[in-house]
Amino acid sequence: MGLADYQQDMETCCRCSACKFIPLENVRGLNNVNVCPSIARYNFHAYSGGGRLGIGVALLEKELDYSDKLLEVVYNCQMCGACDISCKYAMDMEVFEPISEIRISCVENGLTVPVFEKMMAGFRRNGRLVQPGRIQEKSWFQGFQVKDYTRQKVDVIFHAGCRISGDESLWKVAQANLALLQKVGIDIGIAGAEERCCGGRAYYLGYKTDFLKQAEHNMKQFARSGARTLVTGCAECYQAFKVLYDRFGFKGNLEVLHTTEFFARLVREGKLAPSKKINLKVTYHDPCYLGRIGEPWIHWKGKQIPGQIRLFDPPREFRRGSYGVYVPPRELLLSIPGLTLTEMDRTREYAWCCGAGGGVKEYNPQFAVWTARERLKEAETTGAEALVTACPGCEKSFHDALQGQKTALQIYDVAELIAKASL
Amino acid sequence: MTIKKEQYAAFEDIVGPENISADPVILYSYAWRSGLLAGATKFTPRFEAIVLPASTLEVQAIVRLCNKFKLQFKASSTGWGIFNDTSGPGVIRLDLRRMNRILEINEKNMYAVVEPYVIGAQLQAELMKRGLNCNMCGAGSNCSALPIAAHQGIGHLSQSGSYGERNQLALEWVTPDGEIVRLGSLGSSDEWFCGDGPGPSLRGIVRGNVVPLGGLGVFTRAAAKIYHWPGPARFPIEGVSPRYAPSHIPENFSIGFYSFSSMDSLDEAQRLIGESEIALELMGFNAAMASANIATSNEEDVKLFREFSQYVQGPCIMIIMAGNSARDFEYKTKVLAQIIDRTGGKAIPRLLDDPKVAGGCLWRWLRSCASIREVFRVSGCFGGEVGQTDSFRLMADYIFKTGQVKGDLIKRGIVYNDGFSPFTQSFEHGHYGHGELLIRYMPNPGTFRVLAQEFLVQANETAIRDHFGVPGHVFGDASHDMYGPHCSNYHLWLRRIKKAFDPNGASEASHYITNKE
Amino acid sequence: MIKKAKLAEIVGIGNVIFEEPVLKEYSKDMSFAHPIKPACVLKPNNAEEVSRIVNLARETLTPLVPVSSGPPHFRGDVVPGIGGAVVVDLSDMKRIIHIDRKNRVVMFEPGVNFGELASAIAEKGLRLNMPLLPRRSKSVVGSLLEREPVLMPKYHWDISDPLACTEVIFGTGEKFRTGAAAGSGTLEEQWAAGGAQKEAAGPSASSWYRLIQGSQGTMGIVTWASARCELMPSLEEPFFVGSPHLEKILEAVHWLIRLRLVNECLILNNTNLALIMAAHGSQKYSQIKEDLPPWVLFFNIAAYDFLPEERIKGQNEDMLELAQRLGIDPVKVLSGITADGFLKVVQHPSDEPYWKLRYKGGCQDIFFLTIFDKLPDMVKTMYAAAGAAGYPGPDLGIYLQPIVQGVNCHCEFNLFYNYQDPAEATRIRDLSISATWKLLSQGAFFSRPYGECASLIMNRDAATLAALKKVKALADPLNIMNPGKLCF
Repeated sequence: MGLADYQQDMETCCRCSACKFIPLENVRGLNNVNVCPSIARYNFHAYSGGGRLGIGVALLEKELDYSDKLLEVVYNCQMCGACDISCKYAMDMEVFEPISEIRISCVENGLTVPVFEKMMAGFRRNGRLVQPGRIQEKSWFQGFQVKDYTRQKVDVIFHAGCRISGDESLWKVAQANLALLQKVGIDIGIAGAEERCCGGRAYYLGYKTDFLKQAEHNMKQFARSGARTLVTGCAECYQAFKVLYDRFGFKGNLEVLHTTEFFARLVREGKLAPSKKINLKVTYHDPCYLGRIGEPWIHWKGKQIPGQIRLFDPPREFRRGSYGVYVPPRELLLSIPGLTLTEMDRTREYAWCCGAGGGVKEYNPQFAVWTARERLKEAETTGAEALVTACPGCEKSFHDALQGQKTALQIYDVAELIAKASL
Repeated sequence: MTIKKEQYAAFEDIVGPENISADPVILYSYAWRSGLLAGATKFTPRFEAIVLPASTLEVQAIVRLCNKFKLQFKASSTGWGIFNDTSGPGVIRLDLRRMNRILEINEKNMYAVVEPYVIGAQLQAELMKRGLNCNMCGAGSNCSALPIAAHQGIGHLSQSGSYGERNQLALEWVTPDGEIVRLGSLGSSDEWFCGDGPGPSLRGIVRGNVVPLGGLGVFTRAAAKIYHWPGPARFPIEGVSPRYAPSHIPENFSIGFYSFSSMDSLDEAQRLIGESEIALELMGFNAAMASANIATSNEEDVKLFREFSQYVQGPCIMIIMAGNSARDFEYKTKVLAQIIDRTGGKAIPRLLDDPKVAGGCLWRWLRSCASIREVFRVSGCFGGEVGQTDSFRLMADYIFKTGQVKGDLIKRGIVYNDGFSPFTQSFEHGHYGHGELLIRYMPNPGTFRVLAQEFLVQANETAIRDHFGVPGHVFGDASHDMYGPHCSNYHLWLRRIKKAFDPNGASEASHYITNKE
Repeated sequence: MIKKAKLAEIVGIGNVIFEEPVLKEYSKDMSFAHPIKPACVLKPNNAEEVSRIVNLARETLTPLVPVSSGPPHFRGDVVPGIGGAVVVDLSDMKRIIHIDRKNRVVMFEPGVNFGELASAIAEKGLRLNMPLLPRRSKSVVGSLLEREPVLMPKYHWDISDPLACTEVIFGTGEKFRTGAAAGSGTLEEQWAAGGAQKEAAGPSASSWYRLIQGSQGTMGIVTWASARCELMPSLEEPFFVGSPHLEKILEAVHWLIRLRLVNECLILNNTNLALIMAAHGSQKYSQIKEDLPPWVLFFNIAAYDFLPEERIKGQNEDMLELAQRLGIDPVKVLSGITADGFLKVVQHPSDEPYWKLRYKGGCQDIFFLTIFDKLPDMVKTMYAAAGAAGYPGPDLGIYLQPIVQGVNCHCEFNLFYNYQDPAEATRIRDLSISATWKLLSQGAFFSRPYGECASLIMNRDAATLAALKKVKALADPLNIMNPGKLCF
């Protein structure tokens, strides 16, 4: 599909501004009501979901040309999908998809951003969006006795993700996940230095063709391993494999699980029992790509029925963020003795973004930090000692935002805490 | 673009470079037409620049510059609705998004002071924590909480919580020529509790039962009356979007939905309900609005509407009651039962039998958070018309009369068939009434033309011929000039106000009245 | 000066008065306004005559002073501000034009007083939200246009209530009907359609009724008004709460109104309560006052058609629970005064002589709006000012009326004095001005400025003043309507 295929969706925007706020039923006060970091920071309507749809129509109607300002508006967006969810509380229309298509159309029309071009050059060269750089000689899996699924058959693939493998500060998360997987006796394999990026972020930067090539390559590699299940601790990778790969027909029967889903299942079955006490008051941050954007893809092919109401043939179900992975991480946290969980105002399908997504971390690091700091402020109001999440991108964003801030707030991945309580 | 570089620089000096733009990408996002009466064009006329002031003084400076440069200006809060559109080049738009503070909630004296970009949901949530509540415009809690921002400011709570015109207390107003007038006690004593005096009340200049729709300067802060809230500080909402519902209906709350065999019976019911002062909310919602409120998709909406329609004997009401005590609630419940029995009202089966469904409806109608579903999900746009605010029966008759025209449009297949049952409402316990006819349609120029010309012409002719007053949908020179001679020449007086307070015609008034001779 | 013949042509020879004694009566009132004799007094019979008067006055640039109440007047607003004025006395326009039970509204001419209106609408089971004991000759239209506070804050949704629509002849000579009455159609046509001339706002984006209210006749002359009515209760149960602590009473007032438990709700100090009730029983003022606590809250619980006993019982119980929580003690009798008796008194106009004149023959009122928190300090300020002026504190009457559903409070100080004693009158005048200054600086909002203090009040807000002058220029460009009042 292309941008033009979403014209009717975009033209259904009635300019209500719901996309700027959390679903209204959940508003609990003056604060923590914004859901879109982009308009919260930049204030012009253009930066909101609805504003972007209007811009999309203007592009299609040739009222607007591709321009540097367009790029600036387009890429100052974390692609967090919150606008989509808030809109779809009331409306039957796509918001996130056309916003994504605008990026794709920018790239297709040769309008790109230098920092992304550089990233994509690396991606095309070695299949990684995050280059390991000077830590190439080391690896996060050093010291682990684990199968290499590129050479051996395995039941389950553990995919670390290039964000983790390319950042030594995040290795502990992958290591915790792998250690837990090994503890429960799963026949697990990794690709190690051969692991390639899932390609999800490339897609959401607008580089669709590159993504499709990468997906094809990855799936071939997975198929050769014989694995039936892929587990990852990275929310972006999770969403890519689970949703994008399914959407474009690559996924097949591969079961894709986030580590929190996998471990929560094991805890329920009694196969994993966190027993060491961790006296900590935490609050949980829902990663966008594990939560609202991570809900399964709905395959639909049909058309809108002509008439005065938007109905489709066959009937169309919209992804409204209802089925994201919200419960398993919380179940895991609550299974740890001594840990108390308190919720922020913006959670689950209307969680505030960590700031890192959509290429914002690379394109406009200050905006990413601003966004993350808003979330940290919200976390602090809960009285929590730690902010816990389930995505390396989120963790990195929060860690970076903590620099120079006077706060005692700690940042953890769910995996770290489960590992601490179980190993 | 006619704005000169030095003019742009002057505006930039006021708000800073981050808060002004004349770039087409930014402007086009504002020019995207709203969902009200859509179909004529996709984009509204381009304007010069958009400015984001952060304070009253910045607003004043911008307005003064516009006067000086012979530019026009138009301000908006959340910017929903065609009233925010500008007439064309030579206009600076002010987006008041950065003015978003609740300045005061005075619990003892029952008022709240807000800036324009506080939305109703925020104010209401803060008030509920304190055992208080506010009326919000029926368009939704995503709209400004300023009582003078919305077109009329009538909302779901108006039965017990009145509406914008009467909830308005003190007000801060940047006049079209750049003065700051602080109405009432604000100007005299720096207090927010009264918007009237000394002497005559300038509230009479700044609005009637509709507001000037951007054509008479900028309202930068306002105090609004607030009301008691007997409910929980935080509603027990559960679930994931789009299916939120409270885990239980709070104690001493109830919601009912009844249909009546005729408008006479409904009228009698609303009169008795009003006189007995039992309702927190009383809305003449029809089955289509109920199904749209509950359904989370158009498919479900269609299904529910068919189901509800079978049980509807005629016009309907939705009533929410809340007791300040168990005794109070018990009394109200008994009285309602007697009234419904006396007037032959029938509850719609299954509509509210499931406590989760009932609870969800209760919450959504208390918080005005489903209006977008009710009005826009079908097609993203609507037209129709809006009555004024005199006696309930007069307003109901007007709307039902014009509803017949909608029936004709439905037969022609150019609008959505949700029955032509319009909705009415009662406020201040039946002292006043209001009605609106929602016509949902897939945006296209043809239907727009029919609605804007054929339908509205008939609605206006009906209002004038049959003495239904000046409806709320009347704005702009042509409409005022048509109604005025039949209605005490009010248009002449309105134009005099415009000329007196906007000698340079700086406040873009295409949706108010202009200075034209 | 307009020739008598021309005036007689309009109102009839019997309604044109040039006699000196009459002119002298209209030249002054019980305020400290400087007496200025009018050129004549006209008594029109209908709106058409009023319209012709205004248009004639425009031609001849003759100031007009509209009056609708009978004497005594107290505010100075109907004393001509300049010489050569013609008083337009509307008190003979006494039609009660239309009573609409269903829509709870009544329409009437300016000469109708409270007693007349109350008995007419009572027949239909309606009542007006009334001010406290208006004098017998007080015009209802006059009271509504003055934005006088009313006794039932529950039914006072907006400060303009219970005024609904008006017909006004502006100083331009144009007739205008405000609110829903504007049209389309004649009143009869509107009634036939189901219209009620109930919505005061509008038409459309302005509300001229708000500009006529509070204008002291400087914008135009109102020839009829409609007012929203409330229902006659079928059951009532009034109470007193006496206390030396104003703060406690104010807390109770807040909750009683907030929970919509009460209809009538007002606070009087012992002086005023004793004065009011002294004429209604065998006890003397001093006897009553002796036993009264300093502050008395009066409120009334009422029920209507549906299950009245149950409603009264339930609201009573809710009220008593509230009282216990607040530490107050509602009683049915206080110092020999029964709450029922007091209710009967306040649901009617004042008996003659007007209650404020009974004590010493004269009364100067100082009144303003404020919020509950500030009331105790303002009361202290007034007592201090009175003491400094040598005015006996115990003689000071205080009336506190919560309005606009408890959003703010009308605070009224009544300075009773011997009107015949020039020295005392001067002292009262000076006290009135000095106290006004002090209260102003404490944040009192004098929303209804009269007399000598009007300019000092109006001048505090230059921006509003400038805006009002623009409005005046629209409604009365020739400044023939009661010139010299407010800021005009």
